[in-house]
Amino acid sequence: MLRIENLEKRFAGKIALKGISFEVKRGVIHGLLGHNGAGKSTTLGIVLAMISADGGEVFIDDVSVQKEQARALRKVGAIFEAPSFYDYMSGWENLKVLVGLSGKFDHGQALDIVERVGLSDRIHSKVGAYSHGMRQRLALAQALLPEPEVLLLDEPTDGLDPEGIKWFRDFIVNLRNERGMTVLFNSHLLSEVELMCDRVSIIREGELVFEGDVNDLRDDRLGFKISAEPMDVLKSVVEEFDGEWLTESRCLFPPEHQVANVVERLVGAGAKVHEVTPVRRSLEDVYLEFSKESSCS
Amino acid sequence: MFLSQLRGELRKLFARRRTYLGYVVFIVFEVLILTLWVKVGREKVAELAERNLIPMDQLYSSLTSTYWIMGGGMFLLGSIYFALVGGDIVAKESEDGNLRMVLSRPVSRLRVLLLKYFAVIIYTVTFVIFVGITGYGMSVLALGTGGGLCVWNPNLYILSVYPGWGEGFTRLFVGACFMGLSMCVVSSLAFFFSCFKMKPAAATIMALSVFFIDFVLQNMPFLRGVKHVFITYRMENWAYLLQEEIPWARIVESYAILSGLNISLFIVGWMVFQSRDFKT
Repeated sequence: MLRIENLEKRFAGKIALKGISFEVKRGVIHGLLGHNGAGKSTTLGIVLAMISADGGEVFIDDVSVQKEQARALRKVGAIFEAPSFYDYMSGWENLKVLVGLSGKFDHGQALDIVERVGLSDRIHSKVGAYSHGMRQRLALAQALLPEPEVLLLDEPTDGLDPEGIKWFRDFIVNLRNERGMTVLFNSHLLSEVELMCDRVSIIREGELVFEGDVNDLRDDRLGFKISAEPMDVLKSVVEEFDGEWLTESRCLFPPEHQVANVVERLVGAGAKVHEVTPVRRSLEDVYLEFSKESSCS
Repeated sequence: MFLSQLRGELRKLFARRRTYLGYVVFIVFEVLILTLWVKVGREKVAELAERNLIPMDQLYSSLTSTYWIMGGGMFLLGSIYFALVGGDIVAKESEDGNLRMVLSRPVSRLRVLLLKYFAVIIYTVTFVIFVGITGYGMSVLALGTGGGLCVWNPNLYILSVYPGWGEGFTRLFVGACFMGLSMCVVSSLAFFFSCFKMKPAAATIMALSVFFIDFVLQNMPFLRGVKHVFITYRMENWAYLLQEEIPWARIVESYAILSGLNISLFIVGWMVFQSRDFKT
């Protein structure tokens, strides 16, 4: 649905993107992860043709954004970190003006979306009086009008309270589940990406350092922890299976050993096994790992 | 679709309070100039009428005072508001981040600029007409409906008298429309600077600087021989429509030059805007 091919960009001679390529499949929530200044917003800016690429191309449903901007973006809605509306106009007037740029403004459809984002009560108030959360809801409404197939989100949950973040996350996931919406979600909040995305691309210093499935990453086990006694039996098993002491009665074993083998050896030696916990790699671990690797190289 | 989008652009423009600043100032200006015209001007006008053998009722009339309000106020005062609105139209939205929202929609940058440019042009022309209508309305309240039109423009060597209300009114109305077209140059200049990456105030100041420098140079006695090369001279040519023998060739030439300038400013502004990156 969204294909990014070999994007390159320099700002005043400084490299911002170095040949970024990845693809977002239809109906997938794809996270774009990276530090501030890693190149996430630049990538999104190029997808929206707000920033010109020095090299490479972006395709939305096989239509080139660089060659046919208006046609390519017809299927796209976008939300930014701090959406700037016309504060001196009401939310409804803002919607009319912005959505009118895409074509005809459908009142019924707009009313429906406004209700869905929970802004019905305040839609005729001036946007200048809106809270950050309300602005984000209005931004969501304008992005969903008329009916996009791809949603581009540039750090949309920044500055929202926990309740607002949860609401936003649930809303986006529902959109994917109900309407098969394709979402590119740009964030530096690992927890958000982990909770919301199906796939993730990690950018560091303008380079794509990882792309993969979020679940695969989470399932990529680091090993398992075992809590057992007595200590002398545990000690011998730790030495035999290259374990690592965590506390007096808890040890971490590497993933190349089978849990069953370690437990069998412990029980066979007369130990009582209290707990066996798999240790999984979190997205944060992966992110930090790739960040470290790339800075070392 | 273009028209509905233009309506949206005009809605934005006229929803902003500062758009009305010019209207308010001109109403105050009209009240002030008419008060002085009634209180102080009458004797001076009578003197002038006698010296030039012009009947008093043609010189001291609502049409003549409207001419002075428009001719006297538009160039120096009106240009400020045209530059303000023209300078804001792109640069303010860029500064506030609204343009990112606009450009995230499936619309080309050329169309966005065309909408904004048309909105500014509509504002400019309607503003001039507004000043004409309110100026005449207030003049009628102060001086009554009768009387003709007396036009005096020493810079263009024009001294014309139209004793009948009908011809005076028609001349003034057509003149006002052309004056509106002339003032579009100030708006185009401000719009042009607004397309660059600069603050809205900077775009306004740059446009006014170019306009006033041109105006000052045009009025230098030693440059009188080449005044036709100055924009402000060409802009003043609307007043030839109030001359008894209208020099059409000169008017057509001037407005062709001004139109060419407006189009060039738009095209260069668009090229600059097209090459810009919009980033947070």
